[in-house]
Amino acid sequence: MAGMSLLRVEHLSKTFGTIRAVDAVNLEVRPGEIYGLLGPNGAGKTTTISMICGLLKPDAGEVLVAGAAFWSDPQKAKRIMGVVPQELAIYEELSGRENLEFWGRMAGLSSREARSRATELLEALILTDRAKDAVNTYSGGMKRRINLGCALLHRPQLLLLDEPTVGIDPQARLNILEFIRNLQASGTGILYTTHYLEEAETLCQRIGIIDHGRLLAEGTLSQLRERLGGDRVFVLEADFKNTSPEAWGGFNQRFRVIQKSERQLVVAAIGACDPSECLKDLLDLPVHAENVTLKRPSLNDVFLQLTGRELRE
Amino acid sequence: MLRVLLSKDLRRALRNPLPWLIHLIVPLTLTALTGLVFGGHSDGGALGRIRFAVVDEDKTPLSDVLRGAANQSEGGKYLEPVFMEREEAMGVINAGKISAVLIIPTNFMRNYLTARETVSLELIKNPAESIHPAVLEELLGAVVTALNAVSRNFNSEFSAWQAVFEGREDYHKVSALIERAGDKLMAARKFINPPLVIYEKESPADESNSGAPAKAGGSKGGDANGVFTYLLIGMSAMFLLFIAGSAMSDLFRELRQHTFLRYQTLRDSLVPFLASKAVFAVVMLLLCSAIMLGGGGLIFRIHWQQPLALMTLTVGYTCFTAALFAVLVALMPDERHAVVLNNLAGMGLGMLGGLFPPQQLPAFLRGYITRLLPSFWFVDTARNLQFGGTGVAWGWVALKLAALGVVLIVLAAILFRRRFITGLRT
Repeated sequence: MAGMSLLRVEHLSKTFGTIRAVDAVNLEVRPGEIYGLLGPNGAGKTTTISMICGLLKPDAGEVLVAGAAFWSDPQKAKRIMGVVPQELAIYEELSGRENLEFWGRMAGLSSREARSRATELLEALILTDRAKDAVNTYSGGMKRRINLGCALLHRPQLLLLDEPTVGIDPQARLNILEFIRNLQASGTGILYTTHYLEEAETLCQRIGIIDHGRLLAEGTLSQLRERLGGDRVFVLEADFKNTSPEAWGGFNQRFRVIQKSERQLVVAAIGACDPSECLKDLLDLPVHAENVTLKRPSLNDVFLQLTGRELRE
Repeated sequence: MLRVLLSKDLRRALRNPLPWLIHLIVPLTLTALTGLVFGGHSDGGALGRIRFAVVDEDKTPLSDVLRGAANQSEGGKYLEPVFMEREEAMGVINAGKISAVLIIPTNFMRNYLTARETVSLELIKNPAESIHPAVLEELLGAVVTALNAVSRNFNSEFSAWQAVFEGREDYHKVSALIERAGDKLMAARKFINPPLVIYEKESPADESNSGAPAKAGGSKGGDANGVFTYLLIGMSAMFLLFIAGSAMSDLFRELRQHTFLRYQTLRDSLVPFLASKAVFAVVMLLLCSAIMLGGGGLIFRIHWQQPLALMTLTVGYTCFTAALFAVLVALMPDERHAVVLNNLAGMGLGMLGGLFPPQQLPAFLRGYITRLLPSFWFVDTARNLQFGGTGVAWGWVALKLAALGVVLIVLAAILFRRRFITGLRT
């Protein structure tokens, strides 16, 4: 299966009433890769995952799992994938071990296999000490870990993670991210949705930026940064209330405006440009610059450029 | 798979037993309450002896006759009159120790024999009881009818009879009076014996049409004839519907906890998941029916004529009820609305299907709706088993109910699937 994509999504679309939740999304996840689907709440990430795992039927488009159309044999596709829903989907009255064993049995494991796999996962998720306690006595982070573990009993080749770190403390998040990196290292292909920029930047090999149901851009972090024209952006702070950068002679030939507000102008240089030269040019602009900052472009800047607003808004 | 799903639900129930205990306590409470309201068991028959006070303010030979009639021969098996003064009787009825107070007012005999004033007997019913006071009222109605009949036929002799009762006539005249009364009765004998109106027990084949408790004229022993047995079957059918609705609402918990959603990410068919819920609910419902029918049987001393057949029938019925509410959950995404719908469905099916005797239902419902309801299939067959003796097709009805349950589970799976893939979730 080397070289073959584990998951290929083609022109996937879904409409709820008059709302176009997902609009012709294409993406691909390869073995041993974490593909991050980055977007704000309501961007269409969960709807996309729901269609990929068969919880929702797409209005248009196709989902191919290990080369086969999902809907031609849903049960076969489900055996290949593991799904971690955004919400906790576990029985709080049962213990961590009972949850793992139960979901293992549902995934088709024998009683013995489920038991031994649950033991492995409890260890990997650092939950062995609390294995026999009811989940409703766990902390938020522990519940998240069990929620993740419940999708892994059958060793899925493809893992769909829908914002698995929402609402937990930084330490618990680090634990989960570390666990996911280990899964990737073992060859699992992972589709990871998030609205945390840092997670996408540090965890994912390739990132798709989604907003209003549309996949706006896709690529590695550096490819996405390239879209801004280089590996640095300039942030000018001044009064831009009644000014228009287009009116400044030659400005548009040298800089691309990423964002402009009344107090701030974010720009990237077009083509190769020495930072000190660029700074000089910016300070020469016909505005009274209060501060100029040079920084590496972030995914937020990319998102800003693509959507005109910050991801954190 | 079903075993794994059931074992998971059993574990959950053991960890959080309160909702399930409530399911068991509800029928227990209902049965106990019914027993309290209807007076519980008795040795003399399903109704028990009716204890009531007689206040004789007239103290005449005629009132003595009425007093005596109350506890003679057959009446003594069912009636337990206690004689006391008005004040004491009111105290006893207020304490809930008797079902009614019968007051024979002063001048009762004089007014009856002279027809100077309207004659009345006073019956004060215990408002805390329903059946016993109603029975007494009916009996008193029969006494009044008899007194009226006597009055119409012997009115011309009443002044002479009054003199006899007051001790003013000599014995020669009394004997002539009795002779004349005998002549009148001889003239009317063909109207008296045989009676113009007779009561005959209907044959078992016709019983499904009548449905009234009175038809239970006496198949096997007095305790099987009770109105309570009749009511208990109808009530159990209705409460099993309510409990099924409540038990299947566990599907809402699975939806809320997103575990139903996770199940779908692993398995394509929803039928095993829903079937396990239904099986779990059926077990719970069977426990509840054992409490209601078994416990009710103990309280009312009901001897179930065909317990095995009744049990099989109940299994079929519980399959149907559990599956029905799985469909209703699938149809109603909002849990609050679903509770209302479940209650309406339970009440509707219970009431139309046999809580009330079919004769009390409007003709349209009786003719076109009731017979189509699975609750009626169960209730009618269970009543026929109890009152109708042999030849009741209970096996076929149980099979029909169970098969309907299977169909409904498949329907619920289709409805849930449709609901999920279009994105409608709670």
